[in-house]
Amino acid sequence: MTGEAIVETEELTKRYAGGTLAVDRVSFQVKAGEVFGFLGPNGAGKTTTIMMLTTLIRPTSGRATVCGRDVVASPHWVRQQLGYVSQDVAVDESLTGWENLYLQGRLYHLEPAVLRQRVGELLATVELEEPAHRPVATYSGGMRKRLDIAAGLIHRPRLLFLDEPTLGLDIQTRSRIWEYIRRMRDEHGVTVFLTTHYMEEADRLCDRVAIIDHGRIVALDTPAALKQALGGDLVTIRLAHPGPVPGGVGGGRPPLDRPAGDGQQAGHEAGHEALKALAAEMARLPLVESVQPGADSTVQLVVREGERATPVLLDFLSSRRVRVESVALKRPTLDDVFLRYTGRQLRDDEGAAAYHRMARAVRRVRG
Amino acid sequence: MSGTGIASAAADAYPVGSRWTTLPADTWWICWRELKRLWGQKIRIFMTLIQPLIWLALMGNMFQRIAAIPGFPARSYLDYMAPGIVTMVTLFGGIFGGLGIVWDRRLGYLQKLLAAPISRTAVVTGKMLAIAVQTAFQALVIFALALAMGVHFAAGVAGVPVLLLLAVLLSQVFAGISLCLGAVLTSHEALMAVVNFLTMPLMFTSNAMMPLDMMPAWLAKLAVLNPLSYAINPMRSLFLTGWDWAGLARGLVVLALSGLIMTAAASSLFRRSMA
Repeated sequence: MTGEAIVETEELTKRYAGGTLAVDRVSFQVKAGEVFGFLGPNGAGKTTTIMMLTTLIRPTSGRATVCGRDVVASPHWVRQQLGYVSQDVAVDESLTGWENLYLQGRLYHLEPAVLRQRVGELLATVELEEPAHRPVATYSGGMRKRLDIAAGLIHRPRLLFLDEPTLGLDIQTRSRIWEYIRRMRDEHGVTVFLTTHYMEEADRLCDRVAIIDHGRIVALDTPAALKQALGGDLVTIRLAHPGPVPGGVGGGRPPLDRPAGDGQQAGHEAGHEALKALAAEMARLPLVESVQPGADSTVQLVVREGERATPVLLDFLSSRRVRVESVALKRPTLDDVFLRYTGRQLRDDEGAAAYHRMARAVRRVRG
Repeated sequence: MSGTGIASAAADAYPVGSRWTTLPADTWWICWRELKRLWGQKIRIFMTLIQPLIWLALMGNMFQRIAAIPGFPARSYLDYMAPGIVTMVTLFGGIFGGLGIVWDRRLGYLQKLLAAPISRTAVVTGKMLAIAVQTAFQALVIFALALAMGVHFAAGVAGVPVLLLLAVLLSQVFAGISLCLGAVLTSHEALMAVVNFLTMPLMFTSNAMMPLDMMPAWLAKLAVLNPLSYAINPMRSLFLTGWDWAGLARGLVVLALSGLIMTAAASSLFRRSMA
């Protein structure tokens, strides 16, 4: 069931009354059955895009279709198809968890019998059966968010919009919510459109990611491909030996075993030459893109498919009877990707949260 | 399963229906939320009951001697004041009742409601219905308290539903005003300032506490424009003299029309504020 577009935008643009260009001619497709992520810093236009797709604000220009219909022409129909979980934890504190879900189902015009059953199922899914009949005012932040997500699923939407689903939650709750999102997709075939400013979240959860900055999509692909575009994985190998001595004499002995004095300096020089020779040989191995011999008996390599390349490198070194002290495989993160496409690093979480609250307050004032 | 298959299945499962056909149900469920909220906050219910009691006791005693002024139309000030208290409580309940919409907007709950396939008008009418229910309940309590304090009700048992109807219609006018303000002003502070600015003049430019012919002429003219007067006059007749059909019909028609106009205005402003 993956394949055709469930969300499609063409040159979608939103300019607020104050003149702020929040979303600038954005075109993309979300395929049915995928988890699609919008990744970008606060104020990049993520929420504005979601609000246009969920019919909450009207695009200034451009077009968007959701489940095959235009959001401006058929807003009512579009609303019936989608679930929306905003970044505000929009649950009613004075109602119980059960009542929140029941009301939500009523607003989607579900039959009472069907609704009661579904409320029970969803409460079980998000592990809120026990406190179901307590007022939400007594719930923790994580419990509220789980309830909020359950509310977004009450009418079994084909498409679920999650705006910053794990904002401000602790690590444990966050991974629990990731688990729900995966299950929704895997077990119920729900297409998920989420926004996040957490690199890790986009990387671990999304099938495809659009990186958005200043209202423009700067890159769109699978997380793996985006990272691949950076040139590959980084392997750093530290050798226990400065390099193979031609003829194999003394091979395998660590540098500390060498006699002290002038001999050490000479040995070091010779070792560096040997390291360079070794590096030149490694550059010809499969999957290796480039090799850089470094100080301290280390070699840095850029390789394709780091997991497969690493054993090849180690086999080669062992065939040359070179002992390896340590090896590090670092895959480029979406952080590196973001930096590459925008020239900036994502703000750190703490600052981002404060900034975020401010941005939200501003948006509310705008209405 | 192809995507189009899912689309048609979903369309079958959730009847498309126009926005207007679901209006009554949506209105009820928005109202249900408001009433549940109220029920969950027992202190609010307690305050809405205790407040009129204090007013009745305090004002009834304080202004007791006004009734002795020649030309005062009632045998005791409490008889005269009881319908005034009903309208006063209705005024406050109505005009503060719609302000919750500002919090709903702030907390993101409004967006959640609007992302659901409900009639947009229902967000307004649901809140108004909740205010109507609350007003009817309060008016009934005040009426019972007043009777217990020896107030005379000339119209008899049949007059009670009419009294409640007048109070409910009046509450809809003020709920409408309140929701209009809530749609236009998104800052809670600004809203409170405007509402406080409105309530006192509304009280004192009506005949809630003083008969029209005991007021200065200019104030009496203002009172004619005040929707409160159209509820108080017929209510007062019910208390003091019984059935004044002409005054009653005029009051009901004016209040019902004003209520409808305010509902339409609030819905329209509210839709526009979300565009």
